Amino acid sequence: VSSEKRPPEPRALTSGTAERLAAIVEAAEQAAAKVIDDAEEQAQRLLQDANARADRVVAERLRALADELDGSSGASDGRTDGPHLRPVEPAPEPSQDGRSKAAGARLLATQMAVSGASREEIEQRLRAGFDLTDTSEMLDAILGPEE
Amino acid sequence: VNLTDLQTLEERYLMRTYKRAPVEFVRGEGSVLWDADGKEYLDFLAGISVCTVGHCNAEVVEAVREQAGHLMHTSNLFYTEPMVRLAERLAESSLGGRVFFSNSGTEANECAIKIARKHAHRRGIEAPEIVSFERDFHGRSYGALAATPALAANPDLAPMLPGFRAAPFDDAAALREVVGERTAAVLIEPIQGEAGIYPLSDETLLAARQACDEVGALLIFDEIQTGMGRTGSLWAYEQTPVRPDVITSAKALGGGMPIGACIASPAASDVLEPGDHGSTFAGGPVACAAALAVLGIVDDAALLRRVRELGTQLREGLLALDRVAEVRGRGLMLGVGLAEGVDAAAVGGDLLERGLIVNVPEPGTLRLLPPLTVDPDQIERAVAMIDSALLSYAAT
Repeated sequence: VSSEKRPPEPRALTSGTAERLAAIVEAAEQAAAKVIDDAEEQAQRLLQDANARADRVVAERLRALADELDGSSGASDGRTDGPHLRPVEPAPEPSQDGRSKAAGARLLATQMAVSGASREEIEQRLRAGFDLTDTSEMLDAILGPEE
Repeated sequence: VNLTDLQTLEERYLMRTYKRAPVEFVRGEGSVLWDADGKEYLDFLAGISVCTVGHCNAEVVEAVREQAGHLMHTSNLFYTEPMVRLAERLAESSLGGRVFFSNSGTEANECAIKIARKHAHRRGIEAPEIVSFERDFHGRSYGALAATPALAANPDLAPMLPGFRAAPFDDAAALREVVGERTAAVLIEPIQGEAGIYPLSDETLLAARQACDEVGALLIFDEIQTGMGRTGSLWAYEQTPVRPDVITSAKALGGGMPIGACIASPAASDVLEPGDHGSTFAGGPVACAAALAVLGIVDDAALLRRVRELGTQLREGLLALDRVAEVRGRGLMLGVGLAEGVDAAAVGGDLLERGLIVNVPEPGTLRLLPPLTVDPDQIERAVAMIDSALLSYAAT
């Protein structure tokens, strides 16, 4: 094979070229790392958004439950409709008072849950304010059963 | 200009409505204030529960600076975004109805009083009454003053606005007796602040709710001092067994900018109509931008949990001291009941000299309202200073 037809010898890399190549490889690696970081960041953001949405759904449900309890404790949606011109009973019936107290305890627990209080904090507050010894059933209903 | 100069100018030009402590503050950061001589103070009063996110909080300062650079005032004849956004945020974080903005707490209560009276007139009550508790403090304008029994009794300020009644504090049975067919609203502080930090019992709160429901009256919570995270929940009512129809807010709301808000539930949101109420400055964009920044910090489950934890640390630290008889309150809103015979004013004065700012709302009580951003070390230092002041008092 004549030297004219011989494939050209691969040229030895000069130190400058090697440096350029190393820089290119490093830049490519950095770009790849950035792609991974961005993807992780995006995934994290999506996860946070999903968690926030889930928190909002839970909060809305708890608020709805609080509204319901508020209503059952005596508040009437039709308070503004027509006059309510009768005096307050000086001594309400004990059973009614008891119901109101129980509804109040449930509303307290629900409102505290909405505001982010822990199970232990709610339990402590219920015990102090309502003299309740067993709060587990109420708290299970609001917060879900303990794991 | 030094302190003596300021006192001379005050004597000449300011009405004598305050008895100021002899200190000129010139700088603040977080829970710390510095006077004109460079002396450092730990601020456990936070401008009477105003600076809850700390002095010169960077986010609040930036919000104010940015808004002031764009637009400072237009009046309520036009729209501005911070006002509407703040109304949305306040309503969604509490009763879910509508908001009226004011410039202070007393004005927020004026709005609540108007709502209550008009709501009552709609129900056919000609001479409606607002019921509040003895020792309540709702403000100093005439409506709010009339609902503040101790101050309303001042004969020099007569005649007082009619249509207000006082019930004995925290007496459920007595409250049921006072509430009747003419009652437009029961207006209460869930924890009395100015009186010396006295929480209402669950029994009384339930009685108030029940009595209001039975006659069709509104239950109004004055959350001017208790709200905005002070007790460890965004609103104090969230740690009670009732939900009010209206709440009023101010103090901490603007983080140092003057702003108040009356927040109504949906049932009480449409009572006021055009022409019933108004304000030139209220809802201004700078104050609302500041309040949005404050809410951005305070309406956070982690911060509120921290408030409850720090409140427990402060309470336990204080209860361990000799000459502390009791600690009342919730979260970082605490009243320290001193042992009988201890002069709280003398202790408070000594504490100021030692570099701790507290308030003495009544003989025998120290009121502590530190910024919610206070740290555990600062609480430890404050407790140590109170201990030293009490020991020093005992030695005299």
